[in-house]
Amino acid sequence: MIEEGPVSQHGGQLGPIPGGIGMVTKQQDESGQRPQYSMPGILHFLQTEWARFEMERSQWEVERAELQARIAFLQGERKGQENLKQDLVRRIKMLEFALKQERSKYHKLKYGMEINQEDLKPPSFDKKNEDDQMDGEVLPASNSGVSWRQGRQLLRQYLQEIGYTDTIIDVRSARVRSLLGIQPQLSDNEREGGPPALVNGEQSNKRANELNRQMGKKVPLSIGERALLESEASILNTFDFLGTDGVVDDEDEDENLSDEDGMAADDESEERLEKRRSIKSVANEGMAGIDDVLADPETQEALSEFDFLVSESGEGAGEARSHGDGPEWEERKETSGEWHVDQQVLSKLKEQYKKERKGRKSRPKRATLQAMLENLGTEDDNSPNEDNDNSLPRTMADLPELDDAGVQRGSSILFRSDPRKQILGVPGSDDENSEAALGDLARLTVSNDSDPYDISAPKEVVFRKTWNAKYTLRSHFDGVRALAFHPVEPVLITASEDNTLKLWNLQKTVPAKKAASLDVEPVYTFRGHIGSVLSLAVSSSGEQCFSGGIDSTIRCWNIPSSNIDPYDSFEPSVLQDTLVAHTDAVWGLSIHSTKMQLLSCSSDGTVRLWSPGSKSPLLNTFTLDTDNDIPTSVDFVRCDPSQMVASYTSSNTYIFDIETAKQVLKLDTKQNSDASVDNQINCVVNHPTLPVTITAHEDRHIRFFDNNTGKLIHSMVAHLDAVTSLSVDPNGLYLLSGSHDCSIRLWNLDSKTCVQEITAHRKKFDESIHDVAFHPSKPYIASAGSDALAKVFV
Amino acid sequence: MKMAAEVVTIVRRNRPGTKAENWCSWVEESFEEMDSTLAVQQFIQQAIRKDVSNVDEILTPPDGQDEGVWKYEHLRQFCMELNGLAVKLQSECNPETCTQMTATEQWIFLCAAHKTPKECPAIDYTRHTLDGAACLLNSNKYFPSRVSIKDSSVAKLGSVCRRVYRIFSHAYFHHRTLFDEYENETCLCRRFTSFVTKYNLMSKDNLIVPNLDESQVLGGESDA
Repeated sequence: MIEEGPVSQHGGQLGPIPGGIGMVTKQQDESGQRPQYSMPGILHFLQTEWARFEMERSQWEVERAELQARIAFLQGERKGQENLKQDLVRRIKMLEFALKQERSKYHKLKYGMEINQEDLKPPSFDKKNEDDQMDGEVLPASNSGVSWRQGRQLLRQYLQEIGYTDTIIDVRSARVRSLLGIQPQLSDNEREGGPPALVNGEQSNKRANELNRQMGKKVPLSIGERALLESEASILNTFDFLGTDGVVDDEDEDENLSDEDGMAADDESEERLEKRRSIKSVANEGMAGIDDVLADPETQEALSEFDFLVSESGEGAGEARSHGDGPEWEERKETSGEWHVDQQVLSKLKEQYKKERKGRKSRPKRATLQAMLENLGTEDDNSPNEDNDNSLPRTMADLPELDDAGVQRGSSILFRSDPRKQILGVPGSDDENSEAALGDLARLTVSNDSDPYDISAPKEVVFRKTWNAKYTLRSHFDGVRALAFHPVEPVLITASEDNTLKLWNLQKTVPAKKAASLDVEPVYTFRGHIGSVLSLAVSSSGEQCFSGGIDSTIRCWNIPSSNIDPYDSFEPSVLQDTLVAHTDAVWGLSIHSTKMQLLSCSSDGTVRLWSPGSKSPLLNTFTLDTDNDIPTSVDFVRCDPSQMVASYTSSNTYIFDIETAKQVLKLDTKQNSDASVDNQINCVVNHPTLPVTITAHEDRHIRFFDNNTGKLIHSMVAHLDAVTSLSVDPNGLYLLSGSHDCSIRLWNLDSKTCVQEITAHRKKFDESIHDVAFHPSKPYIASAGSDALAKVFV
Repeated sequence: MKMAAEVVTIVRRNRPGTKAENWCSWVEESFEEMDSTLAVQQFIQQAIRKDVSNVDEILTPPDGQDEGVWKYEHLRQFCMELNGLAVKLQSECNPETCTQMTATEQWIFLCAAHKTPKECPAIDYTRHTLDGAACLLNSNKYFPSRVSIKDSSVAKLGSVCRRVYRIFSHAYFHHRTLFDEYENETCLCRRFTSFVTKYNLMSKDNLIVPNLDESQVLGGESDA
């Protein structure tokens, strides 16, 4: 669709050309007969001349359209860079502001008084420092722009030869400026007064000052010229990078460009390019004087841009020529006589142009910075538009048709850049816009180092997960002692001191009042225990769960469907079995992930191994020789299926062999605990993949032990109060801990640092959080509190 | 931790490994010292643990206690303890023998947990009523706070009491042994009767289970 229209138009434009060419050849043949001044001969001569001019004109038309397309493209790119710049500037501002705030805070804390109000005003736009800074960054990195300077000089000479005068150049500059949309855009910005405009405006003012300072010569510049300068500065600057970017593997781009050039392969089109370049070359010359002073080539370039008008008027073309590069210059001379010979030069220019484009594409970071710099100056120029009498009327007159053609051609020729143009074309450059622009830029510049810099920064923030409370599970009447997730479904079970367990389906939520968190109502209530339910484990199939209570029993439940009607009739078979052997409260349960085996620990001092469902479910009993030591928590050793670990109120931890029920190892938990009497281990878990045992202590510590040596690996004060519960995520990367200090904390197991802390529950007596859990396969974590609530975080 | 500084040795926790007999066997905390939002629950539970049969003391609120919260927390406690009765009933009261929720033959109670009240078997009625009460009493809509409760929400407590009482009455009239066993352990029905009478949550006509004193007199009565 996009391509068709322009193509046909293009065809229309090209139509006359073949005819014209035919005429030319005929004419040239006949021109040999010129001496015979016959009437028909003169007429014929006039005719052919006219035909030639016509041809040239049509070629110019084509070329103009071509240029318009390019301009549109460049404009789009410029806007993109502007957006990028704005985004960067905004970030800088934010950071600066944050720094200032921090400083003032510090100041306040230290000296007890407020710092200057001025220093604290929120991101207003005194850009100067940053800009200078950026200049500083950019300048040393740049390199000499010899190659393009040569080209520009060539172009300039060429233009002079074909008789382009300064006035025409002025006109063209105005036109280019208008094409680049500087005026309209800027005025728009000003009128809107939106944030981007603000940034721009402020910057431009500062920048203008800066420019004036830098320019030293202080020649009154006509606004149009300035605008042109600035608009071209970006091109030039990018041009600059040609030298460095010798190696660009952008074959596609190249071909594309040559195609484009091929389409526009006639003198006129090239001439236009040259025209623009000639201006630059002139500027370059103008700068020549300052060159020596300024060590940095890129600075020179920039300055030259701004000075070129001076130099153009002041210095002769001759000097410009003298600056020209040897070989090219010679070639130029030879070929300058006739139009058709110029093709060589033109082709060179084309190449340069291609290179330029390449440079642009491969170095957007630079380009971006350049664009930023330029932008600083642009906006100055709108107010005194009237000064620009010369160029303005023509600009206005030309604009409509140019725009039409430009847009259409642009879409056909530069369709690759189309999406970018569309995106960047949206003037309201808020966050998303600039982000999108960045994304597109990044796509175009795959090998670009600015890539990660621009895009990954926000994404990193996104990827760092923070858990937020999403579901509140209300229905228990008293503290929730334990909870466990279904292995697959977003379903969990809680065990409470109110004698019940409840089954919750997180997909069945009650529409919440207005809170961020959703309320969930239980789908099933397990009643069977007499007194508090203290421990819970869900089988790896998700079909059964096991609960241990203060009534010494372990109940085996068939988990009803999570979509059951909560008020369905009573189904006694839900309680599948009751394991009776313990003689006191069952405080801990652990289920093996593959074997259907269950470990339980009880305050009767024993740890028992069960095979639920079999005829004689009790497989083994583990006891200590020492009296009065009560197991508090048990877990299978996940990376050695023949072992299990149990912690005791004495703060000892032992690894047992499951088969022989003998102690294999005694971990150094006691030695590494405080000597105080009351430092029991509340929870022990094993890392899912590593031979590491993690213990949660009453003395606020979490400790890590090596299962092979029993030695302490790491010890940390993890909470403000006793640590009650631990859970390791299924991948073994994070540890979740709950404490009676009302908070749950997420730890990075690698760095042993706290990643997040969430205050989750309230206190009842001196208890707060009884249990925490990771969902085995879904991004849920949950906490169970003495306030009768369970919470699920996502 | 304020408390820890104050009374270093007393940390009121049921740590893992606590024996059942030591459950909550800590030094009593005065209501003034309870700074938790769950102070009323703590206070009630503490009183119950102290002497389950001293109904009057259990039902005596601390000075200046908001009556709505007091009633609410007591009702929570009743519903919670009724779970124990429900567990007992589950073993004995099955849909075949008790097809309807009845106490005396006078009324058949319809289960209000369903969209249209339904003639659930007694055990289902019991479970559904307790589940429904749990949801209502934990509803973020009606009871978002356990510190202050709207009057309109307090008004809902009466209907919960009425429904819950039917569990007592059913157990009393149809599972008398079980009821007595449970009542001896908990004095729950007596406490409940005193509670609803004291706070006028049910009409006296509906309190069909005889007082404990009477039931002791009529102890020889067999269950239906």
